[in-house]
Amino acid sequence: MLGLPIAFAYPLVLAGLVALPLIWWLLRLTPPKPQAEMFPPLAILARLIGKEETPAKSPWWLTLLRLAMAALAILAMAGPVFNPETPRLAGNGPVLIVLDNGWASGRDWEERLDVARQLAAEARDTDRRVFIVETANPSPDALEAMEAGTATTRLDALENRPLEPDHSAAARLVQTIAERSAPVSVHFLSDGLQHAGTAELAEAIALADAAPTLARPSLEGLSALAGVRNDPDALVGAVVRPAGADRGQATVTMRDIKGLPLARRSVDLPAGSDAVAFRFDEPVELRNQAARVSVEDAANAGAVHLLDERFRRRLVGLVSGEAADGSQPLLSPLYYIARALAPFSDLRRADDANLTSAIRELTGQGVSAIILADVGNLPDDASQRLAEWVDNGGMLIRFAGPRLAASPGDELLPVRLRGGGRNLGGALSWETPKPVAPFDETSPFFGLEAPREVLVTRQVLALQDIDLDRRTWAVLDDGTPLVTAAQREAGWIVLFHVSSDASWSNLPISGTFVEMLRRVVSQSRSSGTQTVDGEPRSLAPLQTLDGKGRLGPPPANTRPLALDEDNARAASVDNPPGLYGTEDGFVALNLFGQSVRLAPLDTGIFGGANFAAYARDQAQPLKHFLLAAAALLLLLDCLAVLLISGALRLRRAGSAAGAAMLALGLSFGLSDSAYAQTDEDGFDFSAALETRLAYIETGVESVDAVSRAGMYGLTQFITARTALEPGEPVGLDPETDELAFYALIYWPISVEAPLPSPETMARVDAFMKQGGSILFDTRDQVNGLTGGTAGSAEALRLQAILSSLDIPPLEPVPPDHVLTKAFYLLDRFPGRYAGGDLWVEAIGEAREGEERPARAGDGVSSIIITSNDFAAAWALDGSLRPLFPTVPPDPRQREMSFRTGVNLMMYALTGNYKADQVHIPALLERLGQ
Amino acid sequence: MSPPLGALAPRETSRETIARARMRAALIPDLLVEAKRVANNVFAGWHGRRKRGIGEEFWQFRPYVTGENYSAIDWRRSARDDNLYVRDQEWQAAHMVWLWVDESPSMLFKSIDAIVAKQSRALVLAFAMAELLARSGERLGWLGVSRPVTSRHAAERLGEALLSVPPQTELPDAVHLRNFADVILFSDFLMEPELLQRKLGAFVSQGARGHLVQIVDPVEEVFPYAGRVEFRDPESGERLTVGSAQNLATDYELLFGEHVERVRRLAHSFGWSHTLHHTDRLATQALDSLYVHLTETPGVA
Repeated sequence: MLGLPIAFAYPLVLAGLVALPLIWWLLRLTPPKPQAEMFPPLAILARLIGKEETPAKSPWWLTLLRLAMAALAILAMAGPVFNPETPRLAGNGPVLIVLDNGWASGRDWEERLDVARQLAAEARDTDRRVFIVETANPSPDALEAMEAGTATTRLDALENRPLEPDHSAAARLVQTIAERSAPVSVHFLSDGLQHAGTAELAEAIALADAAPTLARPSLEGLSALAGVRNDPDALVGAVVRPAGADRGQATVTMRDIKGLPLARRSVDLPAGSDAVAFRFDEPVELRNQAARVSVEDAANAGAVHLLDERFRRRLVGLVSGEAADGSQPLLSPLYYIARALAPFSDLRRADDANLTSAIRELTGQGVSAIILADVGNLPDDASQRLAEWVDNGGMLIRFAGPRLAASPGDELLPVRLRGGGRNLGGALSWETPKPVAPFDETSPFFGLEAPREVLVTRQVLALQDIDLDRRTWAVLDDGTPLVTAAQREAGWIVLFHVSSDASWSNLPISGTFVEMLRRVVSQSRSSGTQTVDGEPRSLAPLQTLDGKGRLGPPPANTRPLALDEDNARAASVDNPPGLYGTEDGFVALNLFGQSVRLAPLDTGIFGGANFAAYARDQAQPLKHFLLAAAALLLLLDCLAVLLISGALRLRRAGSAAGAAMLALGLSFGLSDSAYAQTDEDGFDFSAALETRLAYIETGVESVDAVSRAGMYGLTQFITARTALEPGEPVGLDPETDELAFYALIYWPISVEAPLPSPETMARVDAFMKQGGSILFDTRDQVNGLTGGTAGSAEALRLQAILSSLDIPPLEPVPPDHVLTKAFYLLDRFPGRYAGGDLWVEAIGEAREGEERPARAGDGVSSIIITSNDFAAAWALDGSLRPLFPTVPPDPRQREMSFRTGVNLMMYALTGNYKADQVHIPALLERLGQ
Repeated sequence: MSPPLGALAPRETSRETIARARMRAALIPDLLVEAKRVANNVFAGWHGRRKRGIGEEFWQFRPYVTGENYSAIDWRRSARDDNLYVRDQEWQAAHMVWLWVDESPSMLFKSIDAIVAKQSRALVLAFAMAELLARSGERLGWLGVSRPVTSRHAAERLGEALLSVPPQTELPDAVHLRNFADVILFSDFLMEPELLQRKLGAFVSQGARGHLVQIVDPVEEVFPYAGRVEFRDPESGERLTVGSAQNLATDYELLFGEHVERVRRLAHSFGWSHTLHHTDRLATQALDSLYVHLTETPGVA
């Protein structure tokens, strides 16, 4: 239209432009004739506005503005398109789309797909059938011609694959199609790279169509990663680009398993260079976390390199000659080793005390190094297995100790040892403890600061030997070896001549020890055993890369990865690049190995082809621009109308600002309510932040009121008398409220209260098992006929409540129980009534001559039962006056009752803290007092 | 297009209004114009002035002073004892009240909110006052129209006189005024405040005490117009078109309030009273407040 590259989707709408004169006429009519009004105080009004006279007709520019607005709206509705699409489809016969959907297409896959869709759409318009050959997944399905509509659907579902395109296979497909249904019109949507077999594909295409259309993308920004290795000192690799690429820049990022970036390197890519190395020399701890290295914004699977366990922490097995003693970890021979190795190694402890099975288990786990701490005699079987493992490249690290010193004749030692050992600075020795000499240049420890504060008091001594010097990695000041090592086939045996605990030297507790162990372990080969008893292992897919180089759940058709002997694995349709295995141990499968070369597509081999670019669909719908312009004009019009009517004044602006403030305030109000929502569990917070007395709400109002007042009274008493200042008492419904926040819960038993449900009692049980205490109060001491309470209604009710719980044996509080001295010294525990006993968990029979509470542990009795009605004795009103008289009426009894409450609370909060007071008589006696 | 909010009502004559005025006046008790400052004047009225003077009612007995007319002695009283007494009568004097109603075209305005036009209301108020005052025996005159008359039927007579003259559109000069008369002016006082001040000043200089009754149509005060409105002044015929009248309402109300306030202050500066009356209210309201103003002692002497 008009020579401009503009087309309209709905040209008929343009007829609406005819209506413009009508609109113009309508616009000229406005504004309406003013209302004529008689107005006597005109002079006053005139003073207000002067001689303002609005013209009866709107100004010409306003009319023009409105007309333009209408015209724009009509034009927009007509759906104008700038640069409408030009037909791509050429030739005749069925359309054959050869689509490169390999890794290199990741960046501009959508563009490629758009072109394919456009081809399919044009084929539909011209009623031609369509073949689609995916070069990365050349399946025989491609031999079937499709209706264009089906092809479009197929294209919508098509994804590019993180694989190298297989042009040879694609060539065979193209050839078959050409033979079956020539003539075809071939459109090769290439990824711009020369792959193996591209020449064959070119031949096949030439056979099918003498003048195929070939689309090539720009190769700018295409890059891949190769040769990524986690060396001991750095993680290195190379950014690979197509040959002859321009100067550029790439950012390589190292990420951990969660995808969070660990380090970033900016790599300058000089013109013409096809592989540029990069290097991450971050600390090994950081590098060991790396799970993935990728080129930022590359969006292809080749630019992502996954790292697996082989690049990561060494697996170290720990074996101790000593029986595991969990009670004294600091004395365990393995304690310091484990602490030193944990940051950069994965430790596998031998679970089995049986050395043979322990070593079999460890070697079977594929550990890189095994540490034997003070293992003297090795069983033959174990020794043989270890030797075999070392021959295969294992690193055996041994530590001396009493057991090794006692039996030095061992094959698996780097040097021969003298029997016994050497004591330095002992009572029977003139010598003083020896420090460590600076490390020799040939030693792997070279460069470490020799720890001068380390003193060795005992060591095992090596027998003089011809190559003892060569085998020595570290010596003491007097030249006796401290660390010796020997190579054995592919593996190493290292011996520390001191023990791995702090008894022979203080080396294991020095910082140098950590560094030394790290260097030793990093010498070990990282081993991944890929075979289990000779059978190839197959690993289930864990996560795979998609066409854009993103890690995600594997597609449904992914097959397990079979690992054969030589680990030769290549990514395929069945095994796309990704991680295979389980979360704990996985193997990374990458698209490219150590090196890769990317060559641009040799266009010369496609004789007679028409070349096309992946011009991204240039068609630019103008509808929204026009609508936006119309809206802008509408805005201008509103503004103009306001200006003309004189309504646009500062005062109005003020009110508008007020409205804005109001809106802002409203939004703040809303956000406040949002905060309020997050506060809905504020009850639990307050309970956790403050110690409170708690009671169970039985649901019987009279009982609960007494409990409430009682807890209040006791809170006041505790606040006044002790350092504890409890918060407001809280009534609990055991069915719904969280009990875990309270140390002691008062539970009055009422016959009228409903029996708690089994679920509730399960919660109560959990509360008691986790260290909470419940004080049951049957409140029936005076009701019992004989002073005892057995058989009263409340006691029966308590039995019913407790029937589902695992209640330990109970006893009345014995005279030396902690409860008698937790705060006050008490010998009885009265409440409102004085006669009832206080029952607690029985501590157990005392052995002859042994004081009871010393064995009580920290266990606070989880259940305390009284019949003295504590709450009634504690109950105070608002002015701190007692609510109930004691029985008998004795002020002293109330005081003692409060003291009982304090002791109970202290007991629940501090446990056996006061239990050791029982030793005081004995201590005083021993001191001769 | 909605009908206009206000229009000029036909001019009402005194004939039609007097009857209504009577009805209004019937509701008001007798009015005695407070006249402390009034000098003796020869015109007798009906109401005692609570002081000695010429009148018909007994006021007091007082001892005879030598030189007085013997005929003044009340012999009946004097016979009771040895003294001679003179019988004093209460002074009963009429007060002069001048009325005037503005009948300019602007007074003919009546909005849809108003009950009647301003002129109609003004006439009713004036005649009601006349009726009230005549009942009390005051002498009444209509400024620029009629000389003062003393009659029970003063209202009719003033009405008759009004019919024979053209509408009073200009406040007349204070020519006939005597000392210590009261002037009651009914108008919308939409004139320039300076002009009003000059004219009122002339009245004041003659010693008149005045009462301004400003009659306002509600539309003039609250300005309920909206949208595009062409305003026309009924007197000068000037036109003014306003784009969106609703935006002017607040400003206009302020200005109009200021104008009323200026009139009020002008009145008070002369010691005159000012009554604002709206035509959407009952006439009785204005009568009531006018009654109060007339009977009370002037605030400023």
